[in-house]
Amino acid sequence: MEFSHYAPLWGEALLTILAVLVVLLGSLMKNSGKLMGYLSAAGLVAALALVASNLTIKPTLFFFDTISVDALSQFFKVVFLVVSLLVVIASMSKYTGKGADEYFALLLFATVGMMVVSSSVDIITLFVGFELASLSTYALAAFDRSRKNLEAAMKYFIFGSVASAFMLFGFSLLYGMAGSTHLVDIAAASLANFGPATLVALLFVIVGFGFKMALVPFHMWAPDTYEGAPPLVSALLAAGSKKMGFVAAFRVILIALVALRMEWYMAFAILAALTMTLGNLAACWQNNVRRILAYSSIAQAGYIAIAFVVVGAAYGAMPVNVLNMGPIRADQLGIAGALLLILGHALMKTGAFIGTALVSSNVSKESETDPDDISNYAGLAKRAPITAFCMLIFMFALAGIPPTAGYIGKFVLFSSAIYSGLVWLAVLAILNSALSLVYYLRIISYMYLKEAAGPKIKEQKGYVVALVLTLLAVVWIGVFPEAFINWAMQAAAVLLPQ
Amino acid sequence: MIPLELYILLASTMFTIGLYGLFTQKNGVKLMMCIELLLNSANINLVAFSAYQPNVNGQVFALFSIALAAAEAGVGFAILIALYRLYGTIDLDNINAMRW
Repeated sequence: MEFSHYAPLWGEALLTILAVLVVLLGSLMKNSGKLMGYLSAAGLVAALALVASNLTIKPTLFFFDTISVDALSQFFKVVFLVVSLLVVIASMSKYTGKGADEYFALLLFATVGMMVVSSSVDIITLFVGFELASLSTYALAAFDRSRKNLEAAMKYFIFGSVASAFMLFGFSLLYGMAGSTHLVDIAAASLANFGPATLVALLFVIVGFGFKMALVPFHMWAPDTYEGAPPLVSALLAAGSKKMGFVAAFRVILIALVALRMEWYMAFAILAALTMTLGNLAACWQNNVRRILAYSSIAQAGYIAIAFVVVGAAYGAMPVNVLNMGPIRADQLGIAGALLLILGHALMKTGAFIGTALVSSNVSKESETDPDDISNYAGLAKRAPITAFCMLIFMFALAGIPPTAGYIGKFVLFSSAIYSGLVWLAVLAILNSALSLVYYLRIISYMYLKEAAGPKIKEQKGYVVALVLTLLAVVWIGVFPEAFINWAMQAAAVLLPQ
Repeated sequence: MIPLELYILLASTMFTIGLYGLFTQKNGVKLMMCIELLLNSANINLVAFSAYQPNVNGQVFALFSIALAAAEAGVGFAILIALYRLYGTIDLDNINAMRW
């Protein structure tokens, strides 16, 4: 086998080597300054270019059929790489010199782990990738070693490990049932001999992934972790590591456990309805902006989980004429909508968390109040005009107002729910979107209508570059959605029988 | 040969004990032990299933998961030590400033 055969995996290889290199250089150099940040950013850009060169590749298997490079994996890899790149750009001004090498190396390892998960078609590689990303993010969550950081990291660690354990136990049952660790073999075996063991495995797998995706009632860790972790790490957790849970769940549940369609259809209908309603309701009562964002990302996970319900309801249904795009299958449209929402949400959430990072880094250390308290956002439009404007757009995008990335995702996803006969779920989701405006508008009114709460904020270059790039991406997807919808449809087709 | 059911019974019992401990214990180190119980119960399952299959994938999986569990314990104890330095306790009931 020649070297060029592995070309679709060069992105992962590059990032792994770079991560090791960053640690090595960091321990050799006395003061690395901003070098680590620039190195990581350059590596991520190169990896993004490598992944983008194989964007809609035909499914190709590697390493004894355990890794598959296909349109779906490339979609998620782009999401993960873009999120990490934005986080790295924003982190450059904060993490310099001593300790920066560890920070950026962990970030790169976490990205590699997520990329491996998005490509895995075997439960061993899936688990290893999952743990690589999880272990790196546990350490990142505690990185600044403040009291809140450590509390957040401990909670994240305990819930994350329990999730991994549930997942592993479910996987062990799947292996026992199928005698193989490949997802396609498990799918065939569960179709052939459907039994109670498969059902128990499904339960364990849903609980394990549910923790990672932060679906209610497995969401308890998310608000605490997103509030307590360093703000830029929260961006990575909410936008990256959570999406990893979705791609793993898509692969395992939609491909390997398709025989239990009716069971997970019911389970996800309940989970999705609960998650979006409770997430939005809880967000209305919060005063900490990062906690509001955490609950809003729980609610968004509820919307994304609608895709499972749509697939369960419309699996293998006849194509219908949709949105003057010709005949399209509702299940494919549902997954495509979820993918668009995942892409949009990853961008919006990264941007919003970077905004909170900028604001909280300017609150004086002596101040008694919580640095993320909403009162610190009063009059932000005058104190930090660029940040406030970007946050304004991200809040509108999260609420799903056109023309933004958030709107496109929600529109495609909710219409797929209607086409597959799940009108109650679509109505509930739209009502929830309306409810979510309450807390988004609250943040906006603090930023734009209140008197300024302090002096002008110096907007550091790294943060501003990351914010503006995110803003452009969010609006770009909203204004020119056709290419992205087509891309998501191609990625969605990977999960469904042709 | 010991029947497969007994292994699964052992694994499920271990998993339940670990889960019970997670809900009732407050000490950070005890929680780590409970997590180890959960992970190792899955390993027993994997090895037992593998013995009754024509392939050894399960044993390979168990090896991977043992290595990962060790790494996980490493990260967990690092966080716990940092926590102890700052708070002076590993009783997680006292480390709960953020809620609701």
